[in-house]
Order: sequence, then structure tokens, then C-alpha cells
Amino acid sequence: MGFDALTLGFSLIFDPYNLFLILCGVLIGVMVGALPGLSSPMAVALLLPFTVGLEPIPAISMLAALYCAGTFGGSITAILINAPGAPPAVATAFDGYPMAKNGEAGRALGLAAVSSVIGGVFSLLVFLVATPLLAKVALEFKPPEYFALAIFALSMLAAISGKSSIRNLIAGGIGVLIGTAGIHLTTGVERFTFGIPEISDGIHFVPVLIGLFAMGELLTQSQTLDKTLERISSVVIKLPSREDYRKIKWTILRSCGIGTFIGILPAEGSTVAAIMGYNEAKRFSKEPEKFGSGAIEGIAGPEAANNAAAGGAMVPTLALGIPGSGTTAVILAAFIMHGLRPGPHLLNETPQFVYAIFFAMLFANLMFFAIGLGGAKIFSRITLIPRTLLWPSVFVFSMVGAYSYSSSVFDIWVMLIAGIVGFIMNRHGFGAAPLVMGLILGKLVEESLSQSMIIYDNNWLRLFESPIVVLFFVLTFISLFWPLIKQIWSKAKT
Amino acid sequence: MADTEPAENPAGDSGQGSASPAPSGRGFVHFTDLWLTVLIVAVCGWLYYVTTQFDEVSSLLTQNIGPEWFPRLLIWTIVVLSLLLPFEHLARGSQTASIDEDRSSRIKSISVFTALLMICVVSMIHLFGTLGGMISVCIALPLLWGERRMKILVPYVLIFPPTVALLFTKVLKVYFEPGLFGVAIGG
Repeated sequence: MGFDALTLGFSLIFDPYNLFLILCGVLIGVMVGALPGLSSPMAVALLLPFTVGLEPIPAISMLAALYCAGTFGGSITAILINAPGAPPAVATAFDGYPMAKNGEAGRALGLAAVSSVIGGVFSLLVFLVATPLLAKVALEFKPPEYFALAIFALSMLAAISGKSSIRNLIAGGIGVLIGTAGIHLTTGVERFTFGIPEISDGIHFVPVLIGLFAMGELLTQSQTLDKTLERISSVVIKLPSREDYRKIKWTILRSCGIGTFIGILPAEGSTVAAIMGYNEAKRFSKEPEKFGSGAIEGIAGPEAANNAAAGGAMVPTLALGIPGSGTTAVILAAFIMHGLRPGPHLLNETPQFVYAIFFAMLFANLMFFAIGLGGAKIFSRITLIPRTLLWPSVFVFSMVGAYSYSSSVFDIWVMLIAGIVGFIMNRHGFGAAPLVMGLILGKLVEESLSQSMIIYDNNWLRLFESPIVVLFFVLTFISLFWPLIKQIWSKAKT
Repeated sequence: MADTEPAENPAGDSGQGSASPAPSGRGFVHFTDLWLTVLIVAVCGWLYYVTTQFDEVSSLLTQNIGPEWFPRLLIWTIVVLSLLLPFEHLARGSQTASIDEDRSSRIKSISVFTALLMICVVSMIHLFGTLGGMISVCIALPLLWGERRMKILVPYVLIFPPTVALLFTKVLKVYFEPGLFGVAIGG
């Protein structure tokens, strides 16, 4: 049964057309990753409308490939111009750029490529094993458990990512609230439609996602137009030597574990994983003083961790329907757009689906490795595209992408408003990722809570009858009050 | 070894960004966040009022969970959380300091003009169609952002928007509104 699904998943992906789409996803991912300001969630959001006409598996495979490659792509500019193309590559710049300045750019890129692919493949193996297992456990979940799980996911995102848990929770709440607009399914009552017929079906999340990730960033970029970037040119990528491998093998292995674990937790996986990977690499290093001036473990640690987080983040997304990161939240939106709701039932009925995604991401890792080795020099030139043309192009794609979702100018307005509001919210510390997560999980939260209340006859306390609900609520409490718990713990220790 | 990307923004105002570090009164109450709270509570109050205007439904249909129940629960949650904002800096000093740093500089006028330009373009789609909107963005936004190199701007305007339009109409079969004075592209 499992092997059949595995071979079926392989055959679904090992098709010239699907491989071509994965290659497209990888190329776009590396390009987007390499361009400072453009991020994986933004690219996935912009690519969503292109996938409307595709079958679900090729569509999701393409987006997943973009996700993997985008995480790696960020390291190119982090190393060459000290401007991480994507947030997960922030830690790579700490040692990557000093290495590049010392004339070792090729070696640094080689280390990044090798560490990334090892991290990516490791997490995919975990994904292959953990997803069906987690889905099996989740088969027992009923509405109260789903409600508690969704609340835990929102609380994790609030606790781990961004600068303020309260602001993240508010953003998540706003996202869920936006999700309530439209006709209430049970009663048929219109909520927050303000007499606008286009809102009756609810506010489509694709324009909101595009607005938050692309338009918000466009406005942020408009503030930094006078910034100049120093660029290291003439790069010939070099694979790590045997001595390098000897030095980084434990760092990579440790980061693979950290990255995959952080990725599985519902939060902004890759960035947090990369920083933790870097810190742990430094902590375990025999020469921690070299960090910051070109230590090779300082590249291997974050790169293995951030790519491992990409695979890890797909585990809760597919097994539970709860996104593991901002990008997987957008990928989850793609599932919903294609009429699918990831979770245990989908995996139980179509297990080949998870295997197809596994193979797509595996091929994506191998492709970006080859592309990274062969084309780093070309991709580093991408940053030469003037921002005065790049961002208007992003606006054009955003406009057309938002419009094409349902051929409605109203959606362009939604995208624009989301972008402007997102820009202002971002300035005040409210992240886009929690809002998106709230928006996507909104329906699940409302339906599961309403159903639970009906089941328990409006008695909140009966929610605690289920041990799984209690477990999730305890985890939610811990995640929200973790800084306080840590403080009390360290005080008690001293 | 190192080459430098040219500065591309004569349009961006130089002074404003770094002009005012905006001391936001970080005593017991954080005043910027207090205003933020007032704004959020006001919006929530209005949204709560909107929920009172939802159509009434028979309790047989709602099973005690009316259409307003969940939005109200959320509104209350958001209000309670936002009431904590003015005091958040007392517990998480460094994080709020970092948020203060992000918002200390005023929004540059170039960003305001960019937002206004985007609004204008979208407003004009009904007149000039989606392709017209794309072309206007490709002309106006680079010019606003200080791009004056016609040898790259002209080919960009001539090639990029029609290519995107053709990709969407011919490959993805999206119908683009021609607008009142715009051009219809076959869908």
C-alpha cells in the first residue's frame, strides 16, 4: 500500500511536463531568493494565479520547488553583496560576506550550496516518514482538537516570529476576522459585506496575500532607493574540500536536526532555524572567535538549518492543514484554491499526494544544487537589474495576479489596500505572516469552535474533556508565556 | 573586485528619513502605542456596531451560535490584546525598542507618492483597461523613482506590459477588461 503510493507519487512527478514546471519553480525561486527584497512568500503569492489552470499536483510541486530554491537563492546575495536576498539568509551573510571579501566567494557559495542540499534532503526524509504518521494521529481529531490545534499554531507563530507576541496575536486575530467577511455558512447571513456584492463570497485570500507580501514590500523598498550595494564580482564556485567537509560535518548534521524540528513547529521556520543553526555552530565550534570574519561553519550551520526547515514546514502543512511557515501558509492557500484541504483525510484518501510533493521537493533540491554550482555567477548578476524597473514589474505582476484570480478589478483594490495597510502595520511591528496565517486558518478556527460549542452545548469547560485539547492548550500557554517562564526558571536556578 | 550599484533615487527626499527619531514617550505608558490602541479600539468599536446590524436569524437555525458570535469574540480578543500594547515595552524592552527604531523615521514622501500613484492607476483601469494600467505603471513608477535612462525605460515599456498581457490572455486565458478607451486583448 505504502510502496504503491510511493511509486505512484514518483510517476506523477517523473513526467517531462511536471519536471519542467519544477525547473521553472527552481529558477524563479533562485532568482527571487537572490534579489534583495523579494521573498519566497511573495514569489509564491505572485505565482499562485499562474497555477490556477494547472492540476493540483503540478501546481503545488512548482510552488514547493520555488520554496526550496528561494531559501537557497538568498545565500547568493548574502555572500556576494552582504544583502540577504531573503530573511532566512541573514545569518549566512555574517560569515559569507567576509569570506567573499577575502577572495573566497566561490568557496563560500560552494559551502552554501552543499549545506543547503544536505539540509533540504535530510528534512525531506523526515517529511516522508513523519507526515503519514502525524496524519494518522490527526485522524482521531474532532472539531475541539482542531480548534485547539489552530490556536496553538497561531500562538506559536506569535511567540517565535517577529518582535512582539502581542502584535502578532493581534495581527492573527485581524486575519481571522477578515476571514469572517461574507455569507455565514450556517445561517446565510451576510457579515461585513457593507453592501459590496464582491464580498458576499468572502474576501479572497490571493489578493490579500499578494498585497501584504508584494505591495507592502514595494512601499518599504521605496524608502530605501538611495541605498547602494557593494558587489563582489567574478565568482567561480568551488566545491568544499575534504578538509572542509571534515570541519563542517557535525555542524551540518546538528543544523539538519534543528532546522527540521523548527520547521515542523508552526512558525516562521526558516529564519528562526537559520539563526539557531548559526548560534549552535558557533557554540560548538573549536574556534568561535573566527565567527564573523569568515568561518566556514558560519555558512554551513545556517544554510543547512534554513533549508531543513523548508522540508520540516511541509509536515504540519500536509498532515494537519496547519502551515509551518509564512510560505507554507501561502502554499496552503494554493491547496484551498485548487479545492483541496490538506490534512489527515486528504492523505488517507490520496497518499500518493504526499509522495509526489516529496519527490518534487527532492528534485528541486537537486536542481538548485546543479543550478547553484553552474549558475551562481549568472544569478549574482540578477542584482544588477535596476530597482526602478524591478519593483514596477512586481506591481504589474501583483495587479494582474490579483485581477486574474477572479477577473475582478475589486480584487486589485483589495490587493492595494492590503499592501498599504500591511506597510503601515509592518512599521508598527505587526507581521504579515501572522495575519496571513489567521486569514487562512480563520475558517477552520470558526467552524471548529462553532461545532465544538454546538457539541458541548455552549459549555466552554467541556472543551477540556479531551486530553489532546488540554495538551494543545498547555502548549499554547507555554509558547505564549515562554519568555516569562524562562525568566522565572533562570531566576530560580541562580 | 567590488563594483557599486549606482544610486537611483533623485526623487527620494534625502532629509526627511533621518530627520526625526520621534521620541515616543517610553515612560510607564508608551504614547505611540497608546494612539495605536485608541485606533484599534475605535475600529473594533465600529466593527462591533456593524455586528449588531447583522440580520436576525431564528435560534433554531443558529443553535445558539449566531453569525455575530464569532466575530464579536474576535473583536473582544483584539481589544483586550491591544489594551496591553501601551505597556508592552515594560515587559519586553528591547523588542519594542527595535519597533520604535523601525518607525522612528517618518514615511518618506516618495512612498506616499508611490501609494498615490498606485491608487490612481487602479482607479483608471475602468477607463484605460488592465493593459493601459500596466503601461501607465511601467512609465510612471520608474520616472517617479528617478529612472531617467530612456534607452532602458523605452524598451521596458514597449516590451514588458504587452508580454505580460499576452502571457495571461493567451496562455492562462484570462480576460482583461479593455476599459472605456482601452484596447481589448483577445482572451
